[in-house]
Amino acid sequence: MEILRVEALNFEYHDGKQALRDINISLEAGEMLCVCGPTGSGKSTLLRLLKRELSPRGRKSGNIYILGRKQEELSELEAATGVGFVFQRPDMQIVTDKVWHELAFGLENIGVARNEIRRRVCEIACYFGMESWFDRSTDTLSGGQKQLLNLASVMVMQPDLLILDEPVSQLDPITAADFMATLKKLCREFGISVIAAEQRLEELIPASDRLLALEDGRITAFGETRKCVAELVNNKRFAAQMPASAKLFSALMKKDRKTEKEELWRSDIPLSVGEGRRFLREYIGKSDENAKTFEKLLRGDFAEVLRQDDIADDVPSRRESMDEDALEFREVFLKYERTGRDILNSLTFKVKKGEIFCMLGGNGAGKSTAVSAAAGLVKPYSGKIKVFGKNIRDYRGQELYRDCVALLPQDVQTVFLTDDINGRHPYDLSGGEQQFAALELVLRTNPKLLLLDEPTKGLDASLAEALKKRLRELATTGVAIVIVSHDVEFSASVADRCAFLFNGEIVSMCDSGEFFSGNFFYTTALNRINRGLRE
Amino acid sequence: MKPPEKYNPAVLFVYFLILAGLVMFAADPVMTAIAFVAMNLTAIAYSRDGLGRAYVFFFIIFVLTSLANPVFSHNGVTVLLVINDNPVTLEAVLYGVMTGFMILSVLLLFRVFSTLMTSDRLLYIFGRAFPKLGLLISMTLRFVPLFGRQRRKMEDTQRTLGLYKNENAIDTIKGKLSVLSAMTTWGLENGIITADSMSARGYGTRQTRTSFSMYRFERSDALMLAIVVVCCSFIFFGIATDRLKTEFYPRIRLQPLTVYAIFAYAAYAWLAFLPVIARIRDRAVHRKVFGQD
Amino acid sequence: MLVIKSSAIRKILRILIPFFVIPAAVLLGAYVFEDKVYAYISLVITILAIVLFISGFERRETGSRRMVIVVVMTVLAVIGRFIPIIKPVAAITVITGVFLGGESGFLVGAMTAVISNFFWGQGPWTPFQMFSWGMIGLGAGLLGRHLRKSQPLLYIYGMFAGLLFSVIMDVWTVLWYNDGFSWEPYLAAIVSAAPMTVLYAVSNVIFLALLFKPVGKKLDRIKTVYGI
Repeated sequence: MEILRVEALNFEYHDGKQALRDINISLEAGEMLCVCGPTGSGKSTLLRLLKRELSPRGRKSGNIYILGRKQEELSELEAATGVGFVFQRPDMQIVTDKVWHELAFGLENIGVARNEIRRRVCEIACYFGMESWFDRSTDTLSGGQKQLLNLASVMVMQPDLLILDEPVSQLDPITAADFMATLKKLCREFGISVIAAEQRLEELIPASDRLLALEDGRITAFGETRKCVAELVNNKRFAAQMPASAKLFSALMKKDRKTEKEELWRSDIPLSVGEGRRFLREYIGKSDENAKTFEKLLRGDFAEVLRQDDIADDVPSRRESMDEDALEFREVFLKYERTGRDILNSLTFKVKKGEIFCMLGGNGAGKSTAVSAAAGLVKPYSGKIKVFGKNIRDYRGQELYRDCVALLPQDVQTVFLTDDINGRHPYDLSGGEQQFAALELVLRTNPKLLLLDEPTKGLDASLAEALKKRLRELATTGVAIVIVSHDVEFSASVADRCAFLFNGEIVSMCDSGEFFSGNFFYTTALNRINRGLRE
Repeated sequence: MKPPEKYNPAVLFVYFLILAGLVMFAADPVMTAIAFVAMNLTAIAYSRDGLGRAYVFFFIIFVLTSLANPVFSHNGVTVLLVINDNPVTLEAVLYGVMTGFMILSVLLLFRVFSTLMTSDRLLYIFGRAFPKLGLLISMTLRFVPLFGRQRRKMEDTQRTLGLYKNENAIDTIKGKLSVLSAMTTWGLENGIITADSMSARGYGTRQTRTSFSMYRFERSDALMLAIVVVCCSFIFFGIATDRLKTEFYPRIRLQPLTVYAIFAYAAYAWLAFLPVIARIRDRAVHRKVFGQD
Repeated sequence: MLVIKSSAIRKILRILIPFFVIPAAVLLGAYVFEDKVYAYISLVITILAIVLFISGFERRETGSRRMVIVVVMTVLAVIGRFIPIIKPVAAITVITGVFLGGESGFLVGAMTAVISNFFWGQGPWTPFQMFSWGMIGLGAGLLGRHLRKSQPLLYIYGMFAGLLFSVIMDVWTVLWYNDGFSWEPYLAAIVSAAPMTVLYAVSNVIFLALLFKPVGKKLDRIKTVYGI
């Protein structure tokens, strides 16, 4: 059954900006559609147009059919329940104070009887495994739980079509993967159609049945996922976002394209890490020449396709100046409550001037706490933190923040104190623009040690690339940079040295290249694909 | 009997309303005495902490209210002393003391009320009559901690960006105000997501929203409600027909101990001590079922 | 679970309770508590005034965006109540009333009382606080255009709001304490509360001076962005 059909959709904002041009798509029941495209390509506009209540103001032409009926002809009740919408920010879309109340909120709005609400709320809580936090205040939940609650409180209205606008961009990779698995399960078990837009496609693409690529409001590709990926992996503006397996496949097959038929190529392209490994094993196994090609690729011209392997070429020149210590943690212990557990547990590391140092790790590993401690915002109860050779305790008043240490927090909106950033209102900027505006504001303090907490959250591939460039520039001027992040691919491409943080201590620390080939889970998708297959 | 927390909020609310009415408006020394003892015990049984400091405040209130009456009221026949041509009478002093005890009882009662009538209980009661207001309150309760957390984050960030640089009082106040201002922007601008999230889930589709709550009204709730209503009707009747009346002016005339009065006082005592009795019973039962703590 | 099964009985109850049982209870209460009839009646009237206003709000449609703005302003006022000594509650209520209309002003004032008392303690004072702060917001909404134009008028209104709040709270305290009308205790209460009254008035003026323009600008912007 066709759940959604969009015909010749054009949309223009009332300020004259053309957002969408001639969009034609359709989606069957139980299918999952992945929407990709750079920031500003019209993804959000399209998703919002599909949900009548959220349609932006502007001029629209063309038709949207939901379950075979024109969107305009649906009753308010049908429009509200038929299409569900989950937003990007887990915190801001929660409306009420209690988990059970949040689940009931939508049903209350459409006037469902109390007994029926009770039944449906309890059922959905059971399905999503929320029993243990059913009575809790919504404020006490973790980010992943909040987003799961948002999903559940939409699902309780039993929609036929579920739309998600970057649902996992604010979550760490492991929680994000769990969330994606839940989505897939919903498609499979209830025949719900899902449309999801996301910046990080490594997990989403293998799960989706169809793919829609947008660029400047136009369709670049639409259709069966594998076919589209095969097409997009050779498209400069989309290649970076494609799964590592597909990129690897494309790079290897380009070499001997003559021998393979184009059609076969399209149906064989691997999407997940598992498929990638299977392909690579077969490929290397075929001939020694193939193995050599792979090795060569990994070292050489592969770099342009896989942004992660172009390890800083300016490192040697910077190494010269890396003589002075910018930041030193020596056996630092820190906890927030007297009886609580240690958040930092004998944390020890050094960062040199002009070096880019990345700390990776899961939720609650103490990453954010480590940068807060380096910025003097939280105090350890034991151990020493030295900033440019001077104990952090000996900095008086604002001395630490004057031309010395600066912190770009995870939530960049906390940086904006006034309503005017270079003549524009900070909240008129897009997420990526806010990130850069905040970075520039932070850099105004002229820091020699820059701390960044999750700087790539919500950035698309091209913006992440721009950020990487900016950080490299800073590093060459001798600024020491400490990044804590979940983003493995970004860290691999920007850092000189990486460390893996677990339960408040560093369990491994070495140069980036070495670091990522050694890890198993906390590593780039490419490393997971070729792990153990090379001699 | 269930522990009070397990009763339907409506039952709890009616109980507190009736009790508060009796304690606040019934001017009878015996009832005031019963209420005072009962409310002290209840407060001790249900308060979590900070009761010690509260009692210092209560004592001051008590002294002030007891003293205030003889200063303003010169009714009564038993003159104790004369200040500035104004007589201070025994009746006025005693009435003042009773009022002092009454006010303390009310303060204690509402302390317990605040502990037991949590926000979701009050929402259950008022949400049915006023579903939109109920939603507003629920939303506010969700936003208060969110704002608190965001404010702390913003303070931290701004500290590293050079806010509070001069470390004097004016700078601190200025800094806090700019943070408050930035928080206003943050809340208003991000609120659009919340509003969209509401619309996406059908807010405004129907004129009347259902007000849902997890609480149930069960047989034991009905029973308790009936008993409370019967008890208080009995007492109300007594007060209305002057069967429970103590006169202070011009001279004190205590209520004679009729059979009706004895029953009414007993009923009042039972009402007032109900939460304490329930707590003691609950402890005993727990000990029996689960052994010593 | 106990449910009244017959819909006819449910319907009768639904009419009976608001139109007969509650008025009967109120009148009966006045009769029973004859010693403190004024205190009792003033409490009942205050509660009824609030209920009347809220019922009007319940019948109208309010868009989700306006709901959120009211919530945000209430949260600011609630957090503001934690500032020591001087409180911006009335100022924020006034600002809301002026920029978003009397109804929103009333709601912010009344809700601030309820919500902040979850932290500060509920009591018989809650309805009176709801009423006074609510009326301050409603009045600001009615005078909105004038208050926006004239700064002196705004400050005078701020001072008046402080006075109103103080007087309403005092009158009830005295009524409850000593029923009936005699001027002495009122005067005493008003004199003894004078420092607080001055403090209210002064903090209203201070916060109006500090917040009116910047917060008003933000609200105006939001109104255009949100399309209210």
